Amino acid sequence: MFTRQNLIIYLVALLIILTLNFLLPRMMPGNPIIAIYGDVAVVQMSPELEAELTERFSLDQSLGRQFVSYWAALFRGDLGYSYAYNAPVAEVIFGRLPWTLLLAGLALVISTIMGILLGIESGWRRGKRLDGSLLTGMITLSGFPDFLLGILLLLLFAVNLQLLPLFGAESAYSDLGGFQRLADIGKHLLLPLVTLVLARVSGGYLLTRNAFIGELKEPYILLARAKGLKQETIRYRHAGRNSLLPVMTRTGVLLGLMVTGVLFVEIVFSYPGIGLATYEALTYRDYPLLQGLLLVSAICVLTANFIADLFYSKVDPRVSYAR
Amino acid sequence: MHVDPKREMVQSKGGRIGMALLLIVVFLAIFAPLLTTYEPLEQTVQIFAAPSWEHPLGTNHVGQDIWSQLVYAARTSLLVGLLVAVFSTVLSALIGTSAALIGGVYDHVVMRLVDAFIIIPIIILLILLSVYFNPNLSRGPLLIGIGVLIVIAVICISLYAVRNLGWVGMLIVCPLIALVLLSRDIIQSTGGLIIILALLCWQGGARVVRAQALSLKENAYISAVQGFGASIRYIIRRHIIPELGPLLVADFIFCVRRAVFLQAGLAFIGIGDPNVVSWGSMISDARDWIFLDVWVWWLLPAGIALSVTIVAVTLIGYSLEPALDPRLRGEVSAQN
Amino acid sequence: MLKIENLSVSFEGERVLKGIDLEVQAGECIGVVGESGAGKTTLGLSTMRLLNGNVSGKIYIGDMELMALSEEETRRIRWNRVAMAFQSAENRLNPTQQILDQVAEPMIAHLLSGTAKAKQRAAEVLQEAGLAMAKFHHYPHQLSAGEQQRVLIAMALINDPEVLILDEPISSLDAGSRIEMITFLKQAIEDRAVLVMTHDISTAARLTSKVATLYGGRIVELGPTNSVLSRPRHPYTRALLRSYPNMTTMKDLQGIKGRMDRQATGCAFHPRCTQAITICKKQIPPLVKHDRWLAACHRGGIIPALSVNKLSKYFGQLEAVAEVSLTLEHGETLALVGQSGSGKTTLARMIAGILKPDKGYIQLETGESEWKGKDYHRTVQLVFQNPGEALSHRLTVLESVREPLEIQGIGDKEERDEIAKKVIEEVELPNTDKFLDEYPHHLSGGELQRVNIARALVLDPKVLIADEPTAFLDSSIQAKVLKLLMDLQENRGLSMLFITHDIAVARKISDRIAVMQEGRIVEQGLTSQVITSPSHTHTRKLLNAAAELHAGDEDEAMPITF
Repeated sequence: MFTRQNLIIYLVALLIILTLNFLLPRMMPGNPIIAIYGDVAVVQMSPELEAELTERFSLDQSLGRQFVSYWAALFRGDLGYSYAYNAPVAEVIFGRLPWTLLLAGLALVISTIMGILLGIESGWRRGKRLDGSLLTGMITLSGFPDFLLGILLLLLFAVNLQLLPLFGAESAYSDLGGFQRLADIGKHLLLPLVTLVLARVSGGYLLTRNAFIGELKEPYILLARAKGLKQETIRYRHAGRNSLLPVMTRTGVLLGLMVTGVLFVEIVFSYPGIGLATYEALTYRDYPLLQGLLLVSAICVLTANFIADLFYSKVDPRVSYAR
Repeated sequence: MHVDPKREMVQSKGGRIGMALLLIVVFLAIFAPLLTTYEPLEQTVQIFAAPSWEHPLGTNHVGQDIWSQLVYAARTSLLVGLLVAVFSTVLSALIGTSAALIGGVYDHVVMRLVDAFIIIPIIILLILLSVYFNPNLSRGPLLIGIGVLIVIAVICISLYAVRNLGWVGMLIVCPLIALVLLSRDIIQSTGGLIIILALLCWQGGARVVRAQALSLKENAYISAVQGFGASIRYIIRRHIIPELGPLLVADFIFCVRRAVFLQAGLAFIGIGDPNVVSWGSMISDARDWIFLDVWVWWLLPAGIALSVTIVAVTLIGYSLEPALDPRLRGEVSAQN
Repeated sequence: MLKIENLSVSFEGERVLKGIDLEVQAGECIGVVGESGAGKTTLGLSTMRLLNGNVSGKIYIGDMELMALSEEETRRIRWNRVAMAFQSAENRLNPTQQILDQVAEPMIAHLLSGTAKAKQRAAEVLQEAGLAMAKFHHYPHQLSAGEQQRVLIAMALINDPEVLILDEPISSLDAGSRIEMITFLKQAIEDRAVLVMTHDISTAARLTSKVATLYGGRIVELGPTNSVLSRPRHPYTRALLRSYPNMTTMKDLQGIKGRMDRQATGCAFHPRCTQAITICKKQIPPLVKHDRWLAACHRGGIIPALSVNKLSKYFGQLEAVAEVSLTLEHGETLALVGQSGSGKTTLARMIAGILKPDKGYIQLETGESEWKGKDYHRTVQLVFQNPGEALSHRLTVLESVREPLEIQGIGDKEERDEIAKKVIEEVELPNTDKFLDEYPHHLSGGELQRVNIARALVLDPKVLIADEPTAFLDSSIQAKVLKLLMDLQENRGLSMLFITHDIAVARKISDRIAVMQEGRIVEQGLTSQVITSPSHTHTRKLLNAAAELHAGDEDEAMPITF
């Protein structure tokens, strides 16, 4: 549903975030540097650094000028300086982003596909054993927050059974190359990935199952049976395909939340992505990093939503008609 | 189709299980003082004690009784969940109906706002806000203001629940009121959080309410009643609110679920008053010590309690789904 | 070919089809006509084994018996040997698949040809069915209901099935498209065994060679289309035709009394039938062959309520009625049209048992009558022309109406009053004491005639003879009385002999017309035929003189008379 209206909504959302981001620290009483960097950081900052930052962000000037300078910095790609990591914020963020995208992307794809397949098979056998147990299982699963699942899995496989690594995206200080490196990354990825998939699959499952059950009652299914089509064909090409819209809409939303949705899992598994960085920034009161993260997240969200919108009508032609 | 939420909840197997589980949790929350011997925050010297008669679930890293923490934490989750849902539902109903009935520019602006808010990732926003705002509301006037709001919202919901949901409504309202009265201290600390969560949760419901109110507006029946000379107030009271009822009930339940989830998550990352005991904070604390065996009676019970609560609410919410979508009725499987 | 043997279908304990026997040869097109809920779609779906309920009986497609096949074998037969063109409805077509793909799908799925060829063939069939090429790549919601119907029909034809079921093929099309579609269908059904389900009789008329009527889950009549539609043999078929607006029949629309009762024992139609007898309530009538048609009726189809055989009456030298033979069928209205002096009234009086015939005899239902026996009068009653004269000026309304009951000795005083009052209500007269005590000279012409009719009905006759009932009434009252008579016929199941000089009235009120001239019946037949193609000169003369509302050629038409 790519429309100009949606574009405007996204821009509005972005503006809200950015403006809040800009205003909030500056509305606190006291030295803006302290508000932006936190008193802990400022105390430890060298006077030269302090002076440089003040100048870069026009912190000693009027709000208006600060605003201009804020935007100018944004366009420069200068997101400030991370005190905790002792590096430019941009560097920190873009170093971490790929890991998050890897984890979140895989999780999204796998959980969506699993949810759809299980939802269809469950809906087809509604009221029977498989459906009953799947449904119960999924609802129970949906009660577990992702961080809890992660901790339990970590406990079981990493701590007690010691099968999988405890933290990180790859073994530190190891000089693995090529396939070995891939395998190493895979091992580290496994538990967080499984956690995320388990946490997300029930949503897609329930949506698909409901939509599927509804579709089966539609007249065109009887026609499909009359045409002598095989059961699998009816199940997937006809009813299944038409049940995708709700779950695709949800996937679109999840796509947007992809970057930020893995926060808890990254924390539990100490996985070096954007989420963990956010947590650390929060803990260490590293405000510039936090703000930079917020900005990057916001942009990712909006971009992802945008892309999702472009694909909606391809999936289901009824969408453009319904609008 | 006339939908009776009470009937749906009671008749479905899942709904009954959900209600039963929830009742257990509510019971624990309300009668916490009677069920525990120690205060949840009371630190003793016995660190990491194994479960015993004295400490049914042992003690944690600062010697606090885990069982007592578990039980009092129920209050936090339930309170936050229910109050956020109360506010959010009232907001959804008001904003959704007004947008539909008033229409025009107001409707347009409100809906764009709703859409924008739905896109914003809540966690990020909450983190941002938590950095700059202290959820602790020790300030007088704000507290009174919130207190008044809570009272009003609770009264509204209670009236609706009791009138339309019969004994099920009583089942929701009485514990709610009891909880609110018992946990005034928690409200003081988490009041701000509750308000903020509510402000971030009403959008979903508002959209649905607006859609339904719009279609009702076009309903031939409403036109007919207008032809009899009915006033707007009569129409809203007699025809629109009862129609919206089931929607709002479903919205309420899912909002409780979201709020409990969010509060646990936030407590897990350390946002919120550290003096307020919640399952999320328990899990967070326990995580630091997973190498010791203590997780069995510390982490696990907290996790199970949290999950049971959420599953209970989910089951209740899910039992309403066939009522709202007639296509889901009937038990016929596709295979014959 | 398609053969259905003793098919019974029930859903959740309710029996929808009961013992259906039907055979359709290749090249034959049979219509199944029935109202909604009769079971037409169920019948159609059963030929493809697509029903979820309890199905018993046998269905043969060619030489294969469906019930004996496995699910997989049935699947392979579907659409290849038997296909159904469903009735167009919302979401009947897959909303997310393009039209061309959907139509080509069965060909590809059954491996009849590759994708490219299948699409080509699909395009051909769609074009023949009249769908614009531009729409081939559209989605169903972009097509109108009529276009969707064409798609459904084209889809049914694509695998070239030997048995074709058409479910309401033209109902969703507008008038102009219907003609095109019928032409197309006529061609498409050649060499196939076709079953057409419809509630629309004209569809059946145009497409089929044989037609069956479905009532209460059973076939009640089956015969060649032309004869069934012009001369139905089963009371239900006749009633159906009467209630169907078309350009052929002239009689005003009439409904069927009562409603379909699914729990009725015996013959499903008996609660609404005018000629039901005891056995009809107890036993289900089998579908029995008579000549070229079949009917399921204990009485062998519509039977005569009354037949007149070579009746003659002389007044001295004058042959008032000369060897008149007539049949009045159960539940029908026969109009006897003739000018004054043609002998109508004499004949009416003879039939009413008032005047004794000189020659010939009258038969009631199946038995010969004992003329002028008491029972005779309970069956046949006469409504006189001049109500003022026909009622005794000494009796009040209630007394007049009650009188026949007293004469026949039916019931005690209270019961007679009850019955009389009920009938007075039936003819739409007030039931008040004041009115009941009125004397005739206080009443208007219309009211008098109603009292007359009430009196005639109080004995619950099966045959009502109305002798020029509106002759003495104003035109506005005429219409009401005529309507009343038709309603009474519908509600009570009367067989009516309507005597009039006015052929225009006869046209509106009768199923058949008999034209009388100088004591003889010179022409009789279906109203629609007699009016549109009269064979006797006298009939033509009457038609010419009949009232018309157009100012036509002055010398052709006589001045307007009423």
